[in-house]
Amino acid sequence: MSTVTHPAPAEHGHSPFLQHHFREMKQQFDAAKIGMWLFLVTEVLLFGGLFVGYGLMHARHPEAFMAAHHHLDKVMGATNTIVLLVSSFTMVMAVWSAQTSRRKLCILFLILTLLCAGTFMVIKYFEYSHKFHEGLLPGKYYTHHGDTVPGQFMFFSFYFMMTGLHGIHVLLGMAAILWILARTIRGDFSSEYYAPVDITGLYWHLVDLIWIYLFPLMYLIS
Amino acid sequence: MSHSHAEPNHVTGPRTYAGVLLALIVLTIITVYASYLDFGAFNTVVALIIATTKGSLVALFFMHLRHDKFNAVVFLGGLLFLAVFLIWTLFDIATRTPILPSNLKTPVMEFPGAPLNKPVRPSTGQPAGQPAP
Repeated sequence: MSTVTHPAPAEHGHSPFLQHHFREMKQQFDAAKIGMWLFLVTEVLLFGGLFVGYGLMHARHPEAFMAAHHHLDKVMGATNTIVLLVSSFTMVMAVWSAQTSRRKLCILFLILTLLCAGTFMVIKYFEYSHKFHEGLLPGKYYTHHGDTVPGQFMFFSFYFMMTGLHGIHVLLGMAAILWILARTIRGDFSSEYYAPVDITGLYWHLVDLIWIYLFPLMYLIS
Repeated sequence: MSHSHAEPNHVTGPRTYAGVLLALIVLTIITVYASYLDFGAFNTVVALIIATTKGSLVALFFMHLRHDKFNAVVFLGGLLFLAVFLIWTLFDIATRTPILPSNLKTPVMEFPGAPLNKPVRPSTGQPAGQPAP
């Protein structure tokens, strides 16, 4: 992205954030957006592999998956879903604030998004530590006692790989939002130039989108 | 990508976004409620339909695909490949009948819930390391 640290006087008569290989801001914005969407497609395919694997093993061992999902807390899962949906809303509001040059509002919404993301990770931490404690771990590390249905370790292999990869994405998204927040405080963004906010927003919504599918598949099997 | 250079990027207002958020939360409550109902074989289908509705709202409104036809095609292209991957795998699950050797024995589970205690030869279900019968 732009490495311009401070808006120099616009001696060329255009935004200091317009890189010289672009004709105009609109072209730069569209190019950045296509790049982000292509990256998001690769993300969908990355998670897609895990979803297909999950579907395959679920179809082969429905009893094991059914029994194992009772160890998950629906209330915590639903709370996390709503927290993430609200964070998506605050993120899109931050993009809107940047689009309409409302700097202070943008800062507020970015901080709210970070708080929601933090809440999500804290709830996730409590869920994970509960499962570690009970020995509900993937594959050969599964040590939970008193099961009546065999093969539940398979569900937890998928649970930890999928929610874990998603959690890493949340952390990376938080880092990106922090970067955007710093730049917003510095005053980089306005209705003329807000591509980084928009693109970080796209990434954040994809993280939300993946959770929208993870939640019913993990927590609500019936 | 828009073809008109003069046209500014479309700005959707906060009221629309708030409405979408409300719809998403209502759909989340519906999907939790639906998980307590029994639709028989369609439980997963119902859950996935609700999830896809929510996902579409996020993609169309929050990700601005409603006003961004070019990137909508890029995204749908990716989803198309995911669908090929998923559907062809489902064909395999749905149509493959197990072809088992006549001397197959049920593998031993020393305690329930644990992974198999010994590696098993997939073709026979017998512990590996022994000569195949």
